[in-house]
Amino acid sequence: MRWTPCGPCAVLIEFPEHIGARARAIEEMLVVDPTVADFAIAFDKLLIEFVPGTPVDAAHWLRRLEALPISANIEPTTHEIPVVYDGPDLIEVAERHGLTREELIELHSTPVYEVALLGFAPGFPYLSGLDSRLHTPRRANPRPTVPAGAVAIGGSHAGIYSVPTPGGWNLIGMTNARLFDPQRREPDESAMFLLRPGDRVKFTPVP
Amino acid sequence: MKVLEVRSVGLGATVQDMGRGGWKRFGVPPSGAMDPHAAARANRLVGNPDDAPVLELLMQGAAFRVLAPRRFAVAGAEAGAIIPAWQARLLSRGTTLAFPRCMKGLWTYVAVEGGFVAERILGSASAYPRGGIGRELRAGDRLEAGHPISPGRLSASWLYPCECRNYDDPPLIRVWPGPQWEQFDDMERAGFFSAEWEISNRSDRVGYRLEGARMNAPALGMCSEPVVMGSIQIPPNGQPIVTMRDGPTVGGYPKIGIVDPDSLPWLAQCRPGVKFRMAPAE
Repeated sequence: MRWTPCGPCAVLIEFPEHIGARARAIEEMLVVDPTVADFAIAFDKLLIEFVPGTPVDAAHWLRRLEALPISANIEPTTHEIPVVYDGPDLIEVAERHGLTREELIELHSTPVYEVALLGFAPGFPYLSGLDSRLHTPRRANPRPTVPAGAVAIGGSHAGIYSVPTPGGWNLIGMTNARLFDPQRREPDESAMFLLRPGDRVKFTPVP
Repeated sequence: MKVLEVRSVGLGATVQDMGRGGWKRFGVPPSGAMDPHAAARANRLVGNPDDAPVLELLMQGAAFRVLAPRRFAVAGAEAGAIIPAWQARLLSRGTTLAFPRCMKGLWTYVAVEGGFVAERILGSASAYPRGGIGRELRAGDRLEAGHPISPGRLSASWLYPCECRNYDDPPLIRVWPGPQWEQFDDMERAGFFSAEWEISNRSDRVGYRLEGARMNAPALGMCSEPVVMGSIQIPPNGQPIVTMRDGPTVGGYPKIGIVDPDSLPWLAQCRPGVKFRMAPAE
């Protein structure tokens, strides 16, 4: 593990490989620590922001993180996401890769994906595990509005739009799952987010 | 009690407080007042805690009608209202509080005694409309104020002169090394600190684009990584982008530096045309 400071009160820690299923154990460790103001996970990196005035002791945190077992007894949650494969870019993406519509759906709905990060918008997942036959560059001209629930491919990642936003990913379908819902507050406000870093996602085609 | 009606929002108006922390792992940026120094001073002038919700106005064009007599304070950018920046006044019912012409800075804060009442989502009243949290204010909105927080308590009716900032004359903007600082070559690093910078018109609560020198970013082929507020990213076109309060929580461009949290409010108030320099933070 390596680390670099990020200004006066944060460190960016680089793991030797994707954080993946360890994310849940890291989360459990950090949310209860009164010196931690915030943290974020993306692929192999963990950012910890400390309460201003807290001495930044990176060595202490590296030791604690290294002591976490790989899976730390916390089984990642797997979410089944129903998808109607009718996105405006579905045929274009299929043709680009020399696939039929059915083959594309099959390739997209077979893997169990992992939430490598939530970012870009609240609750928007970058899902790793996309079949390399479906890797598709982002569109040259982003759409001014993409609806929440759009199931999309951006480069080597699958994703799901969580709020209506401009966006450049290729839209292949829609889900009625709400990735971010500010009205969902039970048992606590974290219920607004369907997914957490390290969770698993499986897409289920809806006829 | 409803104290203010929005007549016009001008270039943009939202409710902000000091922002929300602790949700970055879900992709939620901090949001909050772009100039927390000014927002806190507006609150102090009317006896509120520093983090009470305030109105944040971009430059000019916003106008309000007072629905009930209260003390209001204005701080931050000077935009020509009947309450000058860094002052508080009791306004009577029917008064128009308009911000017709922004002369200094970018963001003006309006506080009311008792604080504006706004729904708290994820621990903050700050609107982040782009992310589906809260919304921009609209003409016709009627804004409510809470009860004065400590009735009878004398509020600070003045500020020290040094608290009243002149945004046309920013100090050196202090910058910490970014995570990829070591990967920029010496020429780039020296050029970054010797250049005279200003912000581009294409700047908003998400990010400020800087103009002044063209930077050469190292080709690192990075994955996206989590970013802190104030991160200075260098995209392939060489024009630095500073992550501001509604900026994404992850970014994939090399980051040469991170603006010090104490300098960021100054940077936030630099309007296009105001030149500033950057220097290493200690």
